[in-house]
Amino acid sequence: MGQTLNIDVHHITRVEGHGNIVARARDGKVQKVEWQAPEAPRFFEAMVRGRRWDEIQPIVSRICGICSVSHSLVAIKALENAMGIEVSEQTDKLRLLLDCGEQLESHVLHVGYLVAPDLLGVKSVIPLVASHPSEVKTIVAAHRVGNAIMEVIGGRMTHPVSAVPGGFARLPTEQQLRDLKKQIEETVPRLEAIAGVVLSVAGKLPAFDRPTEYIALVEPKTYTFYHGKIGSTDTRELVDVHNFESVANEYVSPQSTAKWTKWHRDSYAVGALARFNLNAAHLRPLAAQTAKTFGLKPDCCNPYMNSVAQVVESAQVVEHALQLIDELLTRGIKPEPVKVTPKAGNGAAAVEAPRGILFHRYVFDKAGICERANICIPTGQNHANIQKDFEALVPAMMDRGQDYVRQALEMLVRSYDPCISCSTHYLDVQFV
Amino acid sequence: MSQRAETVVIGLGNLLMGDEGVGIRIIRKLAEQEEQSPDTEFVEAGAAGMGIVHALAGRKKAVIIDCARMGERPGAMLRFAPRDVASRKAQSAYSLHEGDILQAIELSARLGECPASVVIFGVEPVDLGPGDRLSPALNARLDSYVRRVARELAPRSARLTPPVCIVAGDGAVSECGH
Repeated sequence: MGQTLNIDVHHITRVEGHGNIVARARDGKVQKVEWQAPEAPRFFEAMVRGRRWDEIQPIVSRICGICSVSHSLVAIKALENAMGIEVSEQTDKLRLLLDCGEQLESHVLHVGYLVAPDLLGVKSVIPLVASHPSEVKTIVAAHRVGNAIMEVIGGRMTHPVSAVPGGFARLPTEQQLRDLKKQIEETVPRLEAIAGVVLSVAGKLPAFDRPTEYIALVEPKTYTFYHGKIGSTDTRELVDVHNFESVANEYVSPQSTAKWTKWHRDSYAVGALARFNLNAAHLRPLAAQTAKTFGLKPDCCNPYMNSVAQVVESAQVVEHALQLIDELLTRGIKPEPVKVTPKAGNGAAAVEAPRGILFHRYVFDKAGICERANICIPTGQNHANIQKDFEALVPAMMDRGQDYVRQALEMLVRSYDPCISCSTHYLDVQFV
Repeated sequence: MSQRAETVVIGLGNLLMGDEGVGIRIIRKLAEQEEQSPDTEFVEAGAAGMGIVHALAGRKKAVIIDCARMGERPGAMLRFAPRDVASRKAQSAYSLHEGDILQAIELSARLGECPASVVIFGVEPVDLGPGDRLSPALNARLDSYVRRVARELAPRSARLTPPVCIVAGDGAVSECGH
């Protein structure tokens, strides 16, 4: 008699809701395996229609509380692309620095608050404070530095206000940059400690490989999060970001209200592991050493290793942030008045959000009023890949029993860290 | 950590999700009169989730303003402490995107960073769907919400702070214990 599974992890939906996991098998035969993902915040596309050009970034920055920098930067880039706006070297470096802050903040949060509890056998980060106090404090301290970068450069801890089309509405002072540099330098040993903790329990990451197409930005000689073209591990072809729809090929899946994507295969993956697989040759020294310590090599097709790639990228952005600050201080922060003359245009852009490549497109009329928007988020691009992972994982692991399979499926979803319920965070409480 | 304001006022929510944005609208009005609240920092935290831990650290007092489903009449504002409530949220723990201020406060407390005093003002919503305006019921009470939180921030000698405050459904402000 073969294994029987009856897994139905169903979460009550609020406004957008959570994902549901369904896996059923009888007598060793899989009957149903589904990742049921809810709609991404598509209503933001409708919300920006009819809005002025300078209202777009403040609106789309609220698509996500964790990735608000990425949504801001990609919207600004798409607008600049539509209106033919060039930005200064100083603006470019400050945006890269702002992005480093978000990557660090998000990756440390994900590894420390979501993945580490899995590997250490507890439900959340809260009980880890008692069992692993120094480790949690190290994670919180590193997370805090990512937050500080976003606050100083973006003007607010989330939903940035300083980065605007054409440049920066408010510039950091050189003293603020020096203070940031000191904090970031102090983060280097913390990251090494975090890597050590993850390494000590990395053996608990399920051994699961499935040949996968990975998609990320690619730029010559750079481990890029911001510039470049769209690359794939399946082809040497590089696609201009203006043609991102020809990569995403969005379609509707009957098991989900979110749009799914595919390119050369039935699905593709985006995120830290995708970036690593495409750009590992351009890692900075500490990041490259971190990858080596874990034995992480390009062409890795184990989705659970996305968390390890996030540890590697945390080192990458810390090293990059220090270089950017040095370059900004050497040149000196100079006032650069921002002036935008709106005009008609169709612009698209991509950035690497922490969870993967993020695309925005906007069409403006000659007064700078938005006529159309298309927002294609990383989580939407990963849904089909999670489904394909599920379909391969369940038969491969079902002999290990229902509890193991359920845990493996939940950990798999967590490794992608899908953005499925983040535009509202209201309290829902009862008095005790 | 550098010297921080003794009190932090944190507004949470999303301005584009109807009444979900009430905490942000209240804190923006409070920040306009910040001279009345010395040694106080106003933080518009949006949907920052666990990032709130950092805003809490190094303070003596935190005042948090958020939309809250509490089983009260729409528009009611309640003042409570974290220990007074239990979350009813179904958290999947799949994603960092599930924000819960109560979890952030608990983590802050366990880290030994939490202010000695944490006060939450919750406002019962009417509509949490997409939209950049408050429902008429909450919009009509916005100024009374601001006045109530401002009193919390006023120098101790100038305020009367009951354990719970209810802005009644008819828009009048009434107070009672809980």
